[in-house]
Amino acid sequence: MQNNIFILVGFIQIILIVFMQWQSYISTTIKTFDLSSWILGIFLLAIGIINREPTLIILAILTILTRAIFIPRYLLKTIKKDIWRVRESKNPLGVSLSIIISICLALFSYGLYSIALSNSGSVLESIPITLMLQGAFLIISKSNAYNQLIGYLVMENSIFLFGYIFSGLPFIVEAGIVLDILGIVLVSSIIMRLRKENIDNEEELYG
Amino acid sequence: MLSKDFELLVLSFVQLIYVVTLAPLAVGILRKIEERIESKIGPSIFQEYYNLSKLFKKQSTYPITTSTLFEITPYLIFAMYLLLTLVLPIITAFPLTFGPVVDFIGGGLIFAAASTLKKIAALDTRNNYSILGASRASSIGVFTEPILLLIFIMFGVISGTNNPYVINNILQTSNLWYFSLTHIFIAAAFFFLLIIETGSLPIESDSSNELGMIDQSLNLEYSGKELALNDWGSYIKAFLLMNVFINVFTFPFFVPMQMNILNVLIYMFINFFKMLILIFIFALINTTLSKYRLMKIFDFISVGFAFALIAMIFFYTTKM
Repeated sequence: MQNNIFILVGFIQIILIVFMQWQSYISTTIKTFDLSSWILGIFLLAIGIINREPTLIILAILTILTRAIFIPRYLLKTIKKDIWRVRESKNPLGVSLSIIISICLALFSYGLYSIALSNSGSVLESIPITLMLQGAFLIISKSNAYNQLIGYLVMENSIFLFGYIFSGLPFIVEAGIVLDILGIVLVSSIIMRLRKENIDNEEELYG
Repeated sequence: MLSKDFELLVLSFVQLIYVVTLAPLAVGILRKIEERIESKIGPSIFQEYYNLSKLFKKQSTYPITTSTLFEITPYLIFAMYLLLTLVLPIITAFPLTFGPVVDFIGGGLIFAAASTLKKIAALDTRNNYSILGASRASSIGVFTEPILLLIFIMFGVISGTNNPYVINNILQTSNLWYFSLTHIFIAAAFFFLLIIETGSLPIESDSSNELGMIDQSLNLEYSGKELALNDWGSYIKAFLLMNVFINVFTFPFFVPMQMNILNVLIYMFINFFKMLILIFIFALINTTLSKYRLMKIFDFISVGFAFALIAMIFFYTTKM
């Protein structure tokens, strides 16, 4: 039963990442990330309550507080200041190609699992591997700093899902990861201020 | 007591009449709901019948450059759609007389043949806009075909056959398959395909604005009877695809699986009610979304493809 819910959550995450690849408006991407974090947090909370593990419950609440509530609101607030950053304008790969590649990464990670990791555990491992690769691909396929930050956060979410499969990581490590995220978002928002990105007017008229 | 073959033949005829007569009504209701959502009174729901009867009375004219192909294409296409009407599960979940003629792939091929004929006829007119539409329709068609094939392959995996009736029966009786993510993703992929094939809004707006025309421009040189047949054919096509979406993909319940004329007659009303719900969803989509630019259509198609591929990935990754 728990594995089935895990599969459901994993595939919803994959779909949401495909949706993020599709969108060109940054605020939609941030809201999509918000949704995916809520789903992940509620999943961890439910697993914690079912298995009566207080550490997992605390971790879930921390996840919801930081990733689902604080980070998306903070990003949405900062994006209002830089009005020229609200859209992804230079898509190096093209949207449809990046969607196809993102989905093919799922095939790739399933292949990777069946060639290299099939002795180590359950077939479900390929789902977090997929999410991690898709997050990395989100970083390299987008040129906007916000999208790249969200790609990084998606990778972090996939590590959380990994934690569900390989249970037994010490609580302090996982909680540390959650709090690290806050630091990363703050630091990267400073870097974003320094980074000069602008829209070329001609590119806006493309197509 | 009537023989079973005769009953099947009668039901085939009933199904044909059901689809052919109600297809314009479905479009009329769609237009009416769209106008009501925009707080307008809108045309009567029977408007499409009036249009068709008016067109049938008019004289046909042909461009001087066209060959006979241009003249006979509407009749051929209409005949193909009538054949499809006889072989798809619309009011019954057991095969009618012509049911064994084609499977899903055969049905897909007939749909493709009809649209290819339509494009060739459009090229035959040598009207610039028709040729523009033909090129757009074919470049979109090239990319939607892989989605359709993946959907058929996944249905083959679910049912072990490519027969729409078997798929309907399996989904009706097996909760395991009905609620499996494979099925849900396939249904989502087919919904994307349905929007593209019926020319609904994110893809094509229903206006005479040639910048976004795809399918409408193929009809530009037709007039009179031929135009009426083409229009009627496209209504039937939309009606058939919507029915396949309802009866096979999303809501296969209540479709009679046993031979019983009374049940089939009752189901005809239920089926139209299901259609009304789908039509309402389409009206909502048509009034709330805005049209994509042409290059963005391919993003839309690739999301549909992603759903179909995810169904396949899901099937293999969770196969313990």
